[in-house]
Amino acid sequence: MSATQTQTQGPHSLAFRVMRLCKPSFHVDPPLRIDPFDLLAGEDFSDDPSSASLFRRHVSSADSLDSDLSYRNRFLLNHPTDPIGLSGLLLLPQSFGAIYLGETFCSYISVNNSSTSEVRDVTIKAEIQTERQRILLLDTSKSPVESIRTAGRYDFIVEHDVKELGAHTLVCSALYNDADGERKYLPQFFKFVVANPLSVRTKVRVVKETTFLEACIENHTKANLFMDQVDFEPAKQWTAVRLQNEDCHSTEDPSASALIPKSPVIIRSGGGIHNYLYKLNPSADVFGPTKFQGSNILGKFQITWRTNLGEPGRLQTQQILGAPVSRKEINMRVVEVPAVIHLNRPFLAYLNLTNQTDRQLGPFEVSLSQDESQMEKPVGINGLQALMLPQIEAFGSNDFQLNLIASKLGVQKIAGITALDTREKKTYELVPEMEIFVESD
Amino acid sequence: MFKESSPAKDPDSPESETRPEFNPSSTDTTATTNPSTVQTAIDSDSLEATTFESASSEVTSAAADLPPERFNSLDELTHDLGSLHELSTRGSWQAILEKIAQARALFLLTKPHEHLTYLTYQVMALVKLRLSDEAVHELNSLHDFDGTHYRYESFPEIYPNRKGSMVPFSLRWLYALIPTKLGNRQEGLDRLYVLLDFVRDRIRDKESQNLDDSVELWKKRETFVMSCLLGFHLGHKEFGVSLDLIKELINRDPLDPVLISKLGSVQMQFGDIEGAKATFDRVEKMLNEGKSNGLLDETQFKNLVGRNKALVYVVAKDYVSAVKVYDECIERDNSDAIAVNNKALCLMYLRDLSDAIKVMENALERVPTAALNESLVVNLCSMYELAYVNHTDVKRTLNNWIARVAPDDFDSSSTRV
Repeated sequence: MSATQTQTQGPHSLAFRVMRLCKPSFHVDPPLRIDPFDLLAGEDFSDDPSSASLFRRHVSSADSLDSDLSYRNRFLLNHPTDPIGLSGLLLLPQSFGAIYLGETFCSYISVNNSSTSEVRDVTIKAEIQTERQRILLLDTSKSPVESIRTAGRYDFIVEHDVKELGAHTLVCSALYNDADGERKYLPQFFKFVVANPLSVRTKVRVVKETTFLEACIENHTKANLFMDQVDFEPAKQWTAVRLQNEDCHSTEDPSASALIPKSPVIIRSGGGIHNYLYKLNPSADVFGPTKFQGSNILGKFQITWRTNLGEPGRLQTQQILGAPVSRKEINMRVVEVPAVIHLNRPFLAYLNLTNQTDRQLGPFEVSLSQDESQMEKPVGINGLQALMLPQIEAFGSNDFQLNLIASKLGVQKIAGITALDTREKKTYELVPEMEIFVESD
Repeated sequence: MFKESSPAKDPDSPESETRPEFNPSSTDTTATTNPSTVQTAIDSDSLEATTFESASSEVTSAAADLPPERFNSLDELTHDLGSLHELSTRGSWQAILEKIAQARALFLLTKPHEHLTYLTYQVMALVKLRLSDEAVHELNSLHDFDGTHYRYESFPEIYPNRKGSMVPFSLRWLYALIPTKLGNRQEGLDRLYVLLDFVRDRIRDKESQNLDDSVELWKKRETFVMSCLLGFHLGHKEFGVSLDLIKELINRDPLDPVLISKLGSVQMQFGDIEGAKATFDRVEKMLNEGKSNGLLDETQFKNLVGRNKALVYVVAKDYVSAVKVYDECIERDNSDAIAVNNKALCLMYLRDLSDAIKVMENALERVPTAALNESLVVNLCSMYELAYVNHTDVKRTLNNWIARVAPDDFDSSSTRV
């Protein structure tokens, strides 16, 4: 059960025995048990009711002779559900197993005196050593164990929340006086490696005013993970709502559904995934400049999973970033478009031009940029191809309308609209590009 | 005396010279030509059986429509069946194999169903002794289960007025199970699902013929096969399928506290603690309201609820409370091996390895037939390995004791000696 161990000095009176104490597990072991009716006679024997009752009588009279050495519980069915093999018997962990970031390492440590004489004044220490630090789990130096008799033991249990990846070493050491009064030092090292249990891949998509966040959680462990809690904590400037299918339990088995109200989210071991979708909206209480000056941090995930017998693991992700926020001097964006946009029919788009600097800028000329390809843009300006906008003061903004027309069906982008600062001769692009859906007439 | 035909080694052509009248001379002739024939003593009622058409499913009145031959003990049904049954409950599988070999060598089995019963015991013994490849060999000697070879009506002179299949259901089940014992899980699962379909067909069959006793029996078999399948899926951590199966089982019998407790255990196994708690609360409510399907007596029911409660404490790491509840269970029923085992584990998680070991050893001494199971032994050996630097000696002592007391099918590799 213990990992590698090394000793530095001569023959020691003491020795450490170590056993990882993760939660015990249910032993699932379908037994070979039968109903005597299924063995002692043919399967259609009871078609004849008198045979059936006769048979029952003979079998029960045979069973009433209860001998001393009866292992009938290993052969005859006790309860119809015995074949499931889930008796409720708990089994101790049989191997060290794998350990992952976010879990709790728990271990039983026993110091045995395997010599023929007593040892005295025993100071025991247990620490976890990683690449970065040394964490003390137990130290009896303030009140050393007075003595451990021959064949005696001193036991303790240590716990440590695993917060680092990579190699870890459990260092157990004992400082003691042996039978000859010699002060001896016994260190033992038990190594284990901590791996990453999950990876979280995110995708951010902006549709009109709403930002959608899709997160895919992949399970890299050897166990199936029950996702107890997956919470997205949005940054201050956002509010988030989880989007999920309402569990459609039809009229079937009302009694059983009451017991299992919703299908649990269990991600399969070794590469299983589960997706989560969130709708993010800017918080109501955040206005103006902060929205644009602030970072594009959307928030982070807090994940709690459980394995066998509820053994928990907890992790949080790094901050998830949204679409890059323009830090340009001028920001131009589409605020609103009509709900329905038809092919070749002009529609009004509401835009906003914001001055993010501390000085007055403009006046501006807003037009569709002419690029080299001369290809007709799917969304163009209808009517006058240029619009003049007055100056905008520091940190101010200007709302304006553009008459647009779409010449292609389907999902199209409003792109290529530029604002030219006529004084400073600087051009600013429409950001972000807005997607619209063009229907036929 | 009903004269027996020649030993039915060749079921296709049973050479039956059946005469209902007692004919001492013909008996002697048979005796000289075939000394190994065994005469079966049958009730005088059956003499009249052959004069009736075999419409055996209608039992209108005792005189008008007689049932198939009566049997006054298991031995009358099949040669030495009582002894086989007793040996099986003692776990003396080697003795059973020897008995079967002897019966065959001395041609003691005469009726077709006896061969089938003995074959089933043989396959069962081989699988119990973890000799499944030999079991396959025996199964290969069988004809198709659903053919005419194994139907009572194919031998009207041996089984007057009896219809149906003489194949013991356990044989069908063993046939389905064997591939999994040999590592071919997929084939085993397929066969079990086919078996489930077969059982459901039989239920519909018997229902249409109003054979109530049989319907009840086949429904039990349906639960049996479903439970087997559930065990296999659970063992492979296939929780989706397992939950579906257990839901189906609960629908069949919503008042089974053992079944519902198993649902709670499954939920705990994959980590849904809140769900498990709710399920266990339901079972406790059933105890308090006196609602159950009657398969448990009061002590068993209370212990079931107690063990469920203790599990919730174990999950919450409140081992002290868990031990208290387990102690109550053990006081009610000192052969509750699950409570004993789990209590010992709790003591160990409370840093009290010595008492944990004592609890296990005491149980093995006091109630060996209840406590001796492979999982308990594995746990005890893990504790020995932790407690003693030189644990080989103490494990060997345990091993020797097991060898004296354990049944033939006990897996002694569980001591890891």
